Amino acid sequence: MLDIENLRVKIAGKTIIDGLNLKVDAGQVAAIMGPNGSGKSTLSYVIAGRADYEVTEGSIKLDGVDLLDKTPAERAALGIFLSFQYPLEIPGVATMTFLKAALNAQRRARDEGEMLTPDFMKKVRAAAARLNISQDMLKRAVNLGFSGGEKKRMEILQMALLEPRFAILDEMDSGLDIDALRVCADGVNALRSPERGLLVITHYQRLLDYIAPDVVHVMSAGKIVRSGGPELALELEKSGYADYASEAA
Amino acid sequence: MTIATKIQTEAEDGFARSFAQAGFGATQRAAFERFARTGLPTRRLESWHYSDLRGKLRTAPPLAATPGPDDLLFARAERDLRAAPETLKLVLLDGVFCAELSDQSGALSGLRIRALASLPPADPAAILLAELAGLADDPLLDLNAAFSRDGLVIEIAEGAQIVQPLEIIALCGVTGAQSRFSRNLVRLGAGAKASLLETRAEGVGGFGDSALLLALGPGAELDYACRSEGGAPVDVQNIVARLDEQAQLRATALIADAPFLRRQWSVLCRGENAEVQLSGATLLSQQNHADTTLTMTHDAPSCVSRETFKYVLADQANGVFQGRIVVPPHAQKTDGKMMCRGLLLSDNAAMSVKPELEIFADDVACGHGAACAKLDAAQIFYMESRGIPKPEAQDILIEAFASESFDILHDEFLREILQADLARILATGVFA
Repeated sequence: MLDIENLRVKIAGKTIIDGLNLKVDAGQVAAIMGPNGSGKSTLSYVIAGRADYEVTEGSIKLDGVDLLDKTPAERAALGIFLSFQYPLEIPGVATMTFLKAALNAQRRARDEGEMLTPDFMKKVRAAAARLNISQDMLKRAVNLGFSGGEKKRMEILQMALLEPRFAILDEMDSGLDIDALRVCADGVNALRSPERGLLVITHYQRLLDYIAPDVVHVMSAGKIVRSGGPELALELEKSGYADYASEAA
Repeated sequence: MTIATKIQTEAEDGFARSFAQAGFGATQRAAFERFARTGLPTRRLESWHYSDLRGKLRTAPPLAATPGPDDLLFARAERDLRAAPETLKLVLLDGVFCAELSDQSGALSGLRIRALASLPPADPAAILLAELAGLADDPLLDLNAAFSRDGLVIEIAEGAQIVQPLEIIALCGVTGAQSRFSRNLVRLGAGAKASLLETRAEGVGGFGDSALLLALGPGAELDYACRSEGGAPVDVQNIVARLDEQAQLRATALIADAPFLRRQWSVLCRGENAEVQLSGATLLSQQNHADTTLTMTHDAPSCVSRETFKYVLADQANGVFQGRIVVPPHAQKTDGKMMCRGLLLSDNAAMSVKPELEIFADDVACGHGAACAKLDAAQIFYMESRGIPKPEAQDILIEAFASESFDILHDEFLREILQADLARILATGVFA
């Protein structure tokens, strides 16, 4: 499914990702843990295709298709989804307009034809109900004035609607209280499937209590420095990242 | 004809010759003399500093001739293309009211529509028209008064509620390179209510100098939306509005494809508790130039005014906004706020903004603001990451930015017409 080989990334001349290798198989939930500044969020942006990152070496492939020469929208149509750590507010753009534009743009790119409005409304309402998203929230502008928890639930709603092949959850737990975390995690778990890959990026083991990973990778100084099973996350929770910081340096 | 004048340029001289040949009466001669005392504005005139009219108008195109059969044929097709559905259509062809292309207004009670040319000089509407024009002081309004032979006189009786929107459609005939002048009056009696759509497409060539004079009686309410697309190479639109107590004016405009446009507003609140909301969305590309200049005078206590103008500028386009709120000493409890925002889509586009407050009363709340920015790259990436291609993401952001201008209208029908126009303009891909 997702295959990253020897990835090197610079931003403003500074190397952030430094020879990273990562494989996530279909049906797998992989977690990346690591200290601040280890390059976790950069990795998620580079996979999604944000500009102003310079990829100097390596490749990122989804199902064998090279993503690096694709625009962010093309990557999304191929099945990449990034749940943002800080979702953007877009004043003046109604949430429903945004969701419909996104869904139909992806469908057009895949030659699937646009979804009819009644079918779209039904799909949104069903997904919103599972995530405790009120009709009022759907009527507002995209993320405008939403609380941290509301924004994260809206990210998961988008994921549920767009049904990506591969989803990256960047610090999904930041800004969430326990109840909101549970709702979001339930939403994500409902989307686990043998065809879909998930990459969960987090600082803390806590999130992994709710979204149980199959594999845990430790990232430090721009590369994966250790990989293991779920028990690795528990170990990190006790020992911290100090060992890895020195190892990478 | 001998006039003590500042007539110097070829264009001014051309207007003087056209005027002499046309044989207008004394009232119009007085107006031309006023114009001749200043001539075409130069950039040295402060209110014209950002729009070089004299530089743009090198010659005076000949006065538009009375429209003939070919003009009618041409304009009929244009009308069918541009007019909104379900409105009461009133067509001005080269500045002259064209009954053949207009709808019959007989069925609507409380509505009286006449051609300016048919108005006896002593008609109260003619007197009102002159009175309103006198509220603004500008050479182009004088030029309009000097040359206008016709226009629409729309009167809405006291208490009348005209539900069907009225649509003034200003078109040109087949001969592009002419000078067109029209003078239009809309008077609402006390408590009357109406919606006015103005569709302007006098493009192709030449020069346009139109005037719209609005008088709102006590408690009257007017929603007014102008869509100006494909204007003449040099186009001046004068709007003068006077509001009596508790009258409400909500006016917006959608301006696009304007080679050189000056839209100048002069608004006077002369009765207490009048409310004015003015807004506009201007979308320019290539070397377009559009200038909205307004003076909002609070000449009575406790009036409210809101001015919100948005500009979307691509290529080498040039946007100008000048707004002045005037509050004399007796206009206590004035509440006035003015805002101008520009979205610059190109490094070569330019926006000039000059907001001014002239406040002589001490118990008022007045403010103004101006901001120019580019599209937010983070917002665009967020949308792209959801599969929306970049040009479409930009269009969505531009549409959200510009369409906010139309929210002031109470008339949903007018709002939807402008929204649809905006979507069509963006769909051309010029701004993506």
